[in-house]
Amino acid sequence: MSNNLINSNPAIFNTKRFLREQTKEELDDSIEDAIDAEEVFDLIRSISDPEHPLTLEQLNVTQNDHITVNNDSNRILIEFTPTIPHCSMATLIGLCIRVRLLRSLPERFKVDIQVRQGTHQSEEAVNKQLNDKERVAAALENNHLLEVVNQCLSTAHLAHARDIPAL
Amino acid sequence: MPQLELVATLEGHQDRVWQASWHPTKTVLATCSGDKTVRLWAPISQNDFSTWQCIDTLEGAHKRTVRSVAWSPHGNELATASFDATTGIWENDARDNSWECVATLEGHENEIKSVAWSSTGALLATCSRDKSVWIWEVETDNDFECLSVLQEHSQDVKMVAWHPTQETLASASYDDTIKIWKEDEDDWFCVDTLQGHTSTVWSIDFNAKGDELVSGSDDKTIRVWKMYEPNNTQGIATPYGQPVWKTVSTLSGVHDRCIYSVAWSKVHNHIASAGGDNVIRVLAKDSETLDDNAPSWNVVASVKNAHGVHDINAVAWFPTDKHGDWLASVGDDGVVRIWRLIAD
Repeated sequence: MSNNLINSNPAIFNTKRFLREQTKEELDDSIEDAIDAEEVFDLIRSISDPEHPLTLEQLNVTQNDHITVNNDSNRILIEFTPTIPHCSMATLIGLCIRVRLLRSLPERFKVDIQVRQGTHQSEEAVNKQLNDKERVAAALENNHLLEVVNQCLSTAHLAHARDIPAL
Repeated sequence: MPQLELVATLEGHQDRVWQASWHPTKTVLATCSGDKTVRLWAPISQNDFSTWQCIDTLEGAHKRTVRSVAWSPHGNELATASFDATTGIWENDARDNSWECVATLEGHENEIKSVAWSSTGALLATCSRDKSVWIWEVETDNDFECLSVLQEHSQDVKMVAWHPTQETLASASYDDTIKIWKEDEDDWFCVDTLQGHTSTVWSIDFNAKGDELVSGSDDKTIRVWKMYEPNNTQGIATPYGQPVWKTVSTLSGVHDRCIYSVAWSKVHNHIASAGGDNVIRVLAKDSETLDDNAPSWNVVASVKNAHGVHDINAVAWFPTDKHGDWLASVGDDGVVRIWRLIAD
């Protein structure tokens, strides 16, 4: 794997320890907390990159600011940034994000996943594929692909990845 | 205003339901699912349509999702298209009314997305993610011969639909186009490519006469296309001596997410549409419009959250007068619903 990496030397970003301020309402069990961008970010930040033992957050692929949640219309838009504009892993990364959210979010949400505008040379093609649920369904019936996705989603071996200092 | 009244909710599939197909004459509905099965549903009695049950489950023949199911015109055979790249042909054994997979058609490189029988039952069409459309000849003794492999779409082909009376086929694709196919001395060729949608065309259906076609797309619009024969009085050019299809209506704002299904009733001419916004709409052609070349279509009935918070993958009108007001819908919730269109 190390010989033919798509991006052999990615920029690694310092990730701030993510501490969210707890509000009084959140501690009150009788109040339903709306799902917000931070919560969605928390679900996807620790997904590992298919090539590197680093998280999508560390590679700056996902950012809190690039997640839009609308609780009233049950819509979520995730924009992600491939590490390089010709990254052939972009679809796989997007698929991992989709699967994580499929498994974790309430069913009411309609999730759109897109490459951040101007960050990938075939962004339209990647976006179209990621949002075609029939192709996503077919992809997830492919055991080999599912294994790779699960690998990226299983972050056990990266439990402390966010604490690894930037190289 | 007319409305859609819920007649029955059918539960049993273990995964999302992709498509529904009515028996050509009987009150039997076939549905197919990610759970790799087809289920047949019928009312418990012919006097009471409020209670339905699953009368049979067709399983074991497909290793992956069954994406599409179609009855032969006589209703004694069913074709199933699967992500496992095969098409199953099922026959009803009249002795014990059981269904058996009697043939498996192979050839596509990967997922089959749709299957359809021609009006006489002499031909079968399948289409796949491998970008091709296959035409099969139905021979005796469950033999199927591939007559043609049509490879003009540049992407995943989502759906095939036959003309209601002629051997003309339409196919809809991820390449945003619809293609019309015909035979000329044993050679199938593309008569016309319908361009206009700006994203995947998921669904197509002809009107009763076959001179108009409706399409639903990921671009959130519905288009109605009309066929113009050579020497038409409107002066539409037909450069290859073949009919050409033009958009006569584009409906925006009816759905605000991807449209997965459109169904044009051959009985009462209403169009039903549904998709990722969880809504079923029923559209009627405005009778005041005199110009056939620019008809306007209006929403006359709708159901929001027809399958709760889930996408609706298909809608299907009952094919004959007998229950022409029945509409079946299926969704990502694994549920099948039967609705009745009640006029004013």
